[in-house]
Parts: sequence; C-alpha cells; structure tokens
Amino acid sequence: MSGASAPDGAFDRLLEQARAQLDLDADVERELLEELRGHLEESYSAARARGLSAEQALGEAGRRMGLPEAGQALQATHAGRGAADGVLAAAVPVVGTLVLRWLVLPQGDLAHLHQVLARPEFWVLALAALMLPLIRIRHWRFALASWAFFWALSLAYLIQRVVAR
Amino acid sequence: MSDLDQMRKGTTHLLILKLLSDAGEPLHGYEIIRRLEGASDGSFRFKEGLIYPALHRLEQDGLLKSSWQELGASRRRKVYALTEKGQQRLRQELLRWREFSQHVNRLLGLEEAAA
Repeated sequence: MSGASAPDGAFDRLLEQARAQLDLDADVERELLEELRGHLEESYSAARARGLSAEQALGEAGRRMGLPEAGQALQATHAGRGAADGVLAAAVPVVGTLVLRWLVLPQGDLAHLHQVLARPEFWVLALAALMLPLIRIRHWRFALASWAFFWALSLAYLIQRVVAR
Repeated sequence: MSDLDQMRKGTTHLLILKLLSDAGEPLHGYEIIRRLEGASDGSFRFKEGLIYPALHRLEQDGLLKSSWQELGASRRRKVYALTEKGQQRLRQELLRWREFSQHVNRLLGLEEAAA
C-alpha cells in the first residue's frame, strides 16, 4: 500500500495534533511521530484506493486516528518511564565518579596517588566511568551532563591540592 | 465512555496478544487494527491511534518486542511480535477470561447459550 502521495505537508499538519500533546525526549517523540505517520500513510492510501479524493482521504485518516487522544495517551505511557531513565542515567556516572574519587584519593591527599595509578582496577573503573555516558540509553544527555560536572569538580579539586602544595 | 467502550478497552491487551500469537509473524499497528476489525466483523472499532499506547505498554511490560522494518530508502515501519513472556501471559489471561466469562454468563442466565 502507500502508493498514493498526499499534498506536501499534509501529514505534518495532521501529526501536529499529536505532537502538541507530547513533552518527551526528542528521540522518543521522533520515533512516536514516525510510527503514527506510517499509520496515517497506510490509512490515506487505503481511502484513496476506495476512490476518495485526496482531501476526503486525509480527513478520514485523521478522524480515524484520533490524534489528540493518541498523543495524550502516548504521553501518559512514556512520561514516567522517561523520568526513571533520566534519574538512572544521571545516578550511574555520579556513583562511578564517587567510587573513582575514593580510589584516587583514599586518604584525601595525593601522597598515595602513584600507588593508585598502578592498580589495574583503577584503570578499569576510569575507563568505565568515561564510557558510561556513551551508552545508548534514552536520556544519555543527563548522564553526560552529570558526568562532565563531577569530573570537573574532581579536576578542580586536584588542581587546588597541587597549587596548595 | 459507553459500557461497550469500557469492555473493549479492558480486553484490548488480551486481543492484541492473541492476534499476534495467531499471526505467527511481526505485525505493524495498522495491520493489527485491520485484523481486529476484520475478525470482529467491524464491531471492534475505536480511535486507531490508541492502539499505539497499548502496544507500547505491552512492550514496556516485556510482553511484546518491536523492530523497525525497512520499506525502501526513506521509509520504515515498526512491527511487533510476541515474546516468550507474552505467550505465557496470554495463556494465563485466556484461562482467567474463560473463568470470568463463565461466571458472568452463569449470573446472566446465558450459560447454555454460551456453551
């Protein structure tokens, strides 16, 4: 199906009814709207194949979809989950950074730093902490932000200690 | 919302699981709607966009898995298939539904007609 093409921007205008109800991560919204668009295209093509005009087919596809209701329901389905992902994404690198900080400066000074740098587990943890934000999870931007923040704090702390000596 | 709409809403998840189990292949939302309407002689009709929250909820619960099917250079569509957990849930829900409907039929005096 999907043989008949709709007027330019027609599906976008219809999808705006659903988009107006959404307040989710941009990637999630894009996938949801892509899925709804596919359905609209199928429905439109079927209506055209039954002999409806382009305008009638668009109207019917929009009515059958119930886009505002679908948008509301999709928002409710995905909203809580996105927040949980965001909390998890932000928490994981924070925990990783705190563990790393504890390994780097166990006594709060730089006296044992050379011993710490010789420990393989330090480098494994450091690599993991560096890579965590790159893992493809829904709200990875939160992870990246918290990762950058805590690494900046650690660096500032180290610089301050070096300068103080 | 009418009583019939509420009954439809309450059974949508079960019907989707059953349809995908019987289909034996991944289906997209539009196809699921068409098959539900066809199998119910048009009596199972609702706002088509509402199939997607239902599908996504089932996927979040681990009862369905989705994938994108490429349809050419610039088009793709999302298809859904039952997981093993979904199969197990379907079996449980069918048993529960049979028991429930028998009780309701008995209360309504429809037991013989239903049998």
